[in-house]
Amino acid sequence: MSSPEDILRLKQLKETEPIQEAWDNWISTREALRETTTLLDDPELRSMASEEYAMLTESLTEIVKTRFPAILVPPSRTAHLSALMELKSGVGGSEASLFLGEMLRMYLRLAPASGWKADVVASNELDVGGTRDAVVEFKGPGAYDALQWESGVHRVQRVPATEQSGRMHTSTVAVVVLPLVEDSEAHKEELYSMDDIKIEVMRSKGAGGQHVNKTESAVRLTHIPTGISVAMQDERSQHQNRRRAFQVLSSRLMQVKLTREMEERRASRRNLVKSADRSDKIRTYNYAQERVTDHRIGLSLRNLTSVMEADGLQEFVSAIKRDHEESQMEDMLQEE
Amino acid sequence: MSLPLLSARLGKRQAALEYKWMKRATSPIPLDQMLARRVAGEPLQYILAEQPFGPLTIKTRPPVLIPRPETEHWTIRLAELLHPTATPARPLSVLDLGTGTGCIPLLLCHLLPAGSVRAYGVDISPDAVNLAAENAALCGLSAPADPSRNSFQPIQASFLDPNFPHLNLGVAPPFDLITSNPPYISWPEYVRLPPSVSHYEDPKALFGGPDGLDFYHAIAALVARNDFLNPGAVVVVEVGDGQADSVQRIFKATAQMNTEIWLDPWKKMRTVIARPGI
Repeated sequence: MSSPEDILRLKQLKETEPIQEAWDNWISTREALRETTTLLDDPELRSMASEEYAMLTESLTEIVKTRFPAILVPPSRTAHLSALMELKSGVGGSEASLFLGEMLRMYLRLAPASGWKADVVASNELDVGGTRDAVVEFKGPGAYDALQWESGVHRVQRVPATEQSGRMHTSTVAVVVLPLVEDSEAHKEELYSMDDIKIEVMRSKGAGGQHVNKTESAVRLTHIPTGISVAMQDERSQHQNRRRAFQVLSSRLMQVKLTREMEERRASRRNLVKSADRSDKIRTYNYAQERVTDHRIGLSLRNLTSVMEADGLQEFVSAIKRDHEESQMEDMLQEE
Repeated sequence: MSLPLLSARLGKRQAALEYKWMKRATSPIPLDQMLARRVAGEPLQYILAEQPFGPLTIKTRPPVLIPRPETEHWTIRLAELLHPTATPARPLSVLDLGTGTGCIPLLLCHLLPAGSVRAYGVDISPDAVNLAAENAALCGLSAPADPSRNSFQPIQASFLDPNFPHLNLGVAPPFDLITSNPPYISWPEYVRLPPSVSHYEDPKALFGGPDGLDFYHAIAALVARNDFLNPGAVVVVEVGDGQADSVQRIFKATAQMNTEIWLDPWKKMRTVIARPGI
């Protein structure tokens, strides 16, 4: 049997593996380059060697510029977490709801490509088309880490299909991505005590029981200490709505906890990391220019169709993740 | 075209929800037919032919009583109460009186440890017994080749019959747990029931005699018999609005039992728990 100390040491050892791998890779690539250099003077092998030389130089540069720095980034504490995404239409009325429906499909398409299982937990579709709001579960490790940067206000600029005069509209959709907390984990993290939860069930007055068979399954939970309240009515049974509501509540409380921990860590540093406020406008989708711009990293790509209909979103998700890692490194350097 | 009619009938909010559930349903019935039936007053649970009950999906079919949220709530609570002591070493013998869809024993079987429950349900209605058997099969809980699993077996019989349970019926006392959601609606209430209940659901599952208490008298007399219950047994019955006190008195007077009342999520006294007195 291994003791807790052994397990800790093994874990540390395991965590150093990428460092060793990167170093071995660096050494072997450098050795290969040295050997290739000697061949450059050989008239018969020169052309082949110079090709090889360029390739190896590129590999070495890549290792220095990308792989070594990536090792310095502390491992994510939330790497194992799935994600819960809430989308709400903002300004722009039904056009915002139409765009929300398109964004929902955009995110649902990202899931299988990333190895997550997506499930629309709740949605309010409008008679006229579009979706007023939605809650989606993305199950799988890495989902929260990748999607958390989607939190914020997304802005769409286009001529709505419903607009007769051809006038350009600006509408918004607010996205909030929360860590998805499983029942067992909620308990482990001690996110709430049942005594602090007020459970309300909604129904018109009456005898209940055998006297009625109308489906009235809506549930509202309120976490009294924080005032966070979750209402769920999408499912046909009390039990299911209650479970869903507890899951959303756990996710919200987990988010509060993660934010608090992050702020505590930050407080110990000299400089402030740029914070992502949920009310910040993070991205613009401009249809006339076929352009998507991420305002946080100043990245503009003329690939709107690919973002909405294919795998273009991945470029933004990766770029923001990279930016986050770089800013983490800058922080560490500043602390020296 | 039927959606505005549905809104007029149910209110906009409820109509939107039900419309979504109908759209989402895997039913072979076309959406416009579902809407038309709902507008005509048929319960949604019969149109969709199923109702979630705890984590289970229970098949529903007229005229068998549709599982109610109050019943779901107390059945889950009962499973939580039994869970710490339920063990395959000594399986609980469970009898559900007036089993209907079989929802109560099926949910208990589902929530309690494997092999810890042998459940039986009786109903006078062949429609109910057939449906309960289908539900047992759908939940993978049909009786009982494998003692390492929980099982539920529905049986057609009248528990009002003085000879119940007859020899060779396939179920015999003593029992550890009696559950029942018996018919509890009184005459004056019966005539005022909403049509979605009285026009579609089986009167035999609803009407509980002039004061709605007939079946509680019968159940109390049954469990008061010698050797009907094991030591430590529990009797759990759902009651109608305002009946809890009367039902407590019946179990105390007829069977000398100690009683307790559970509230439903709407704070109504919904369930009477009775245990044999010392």
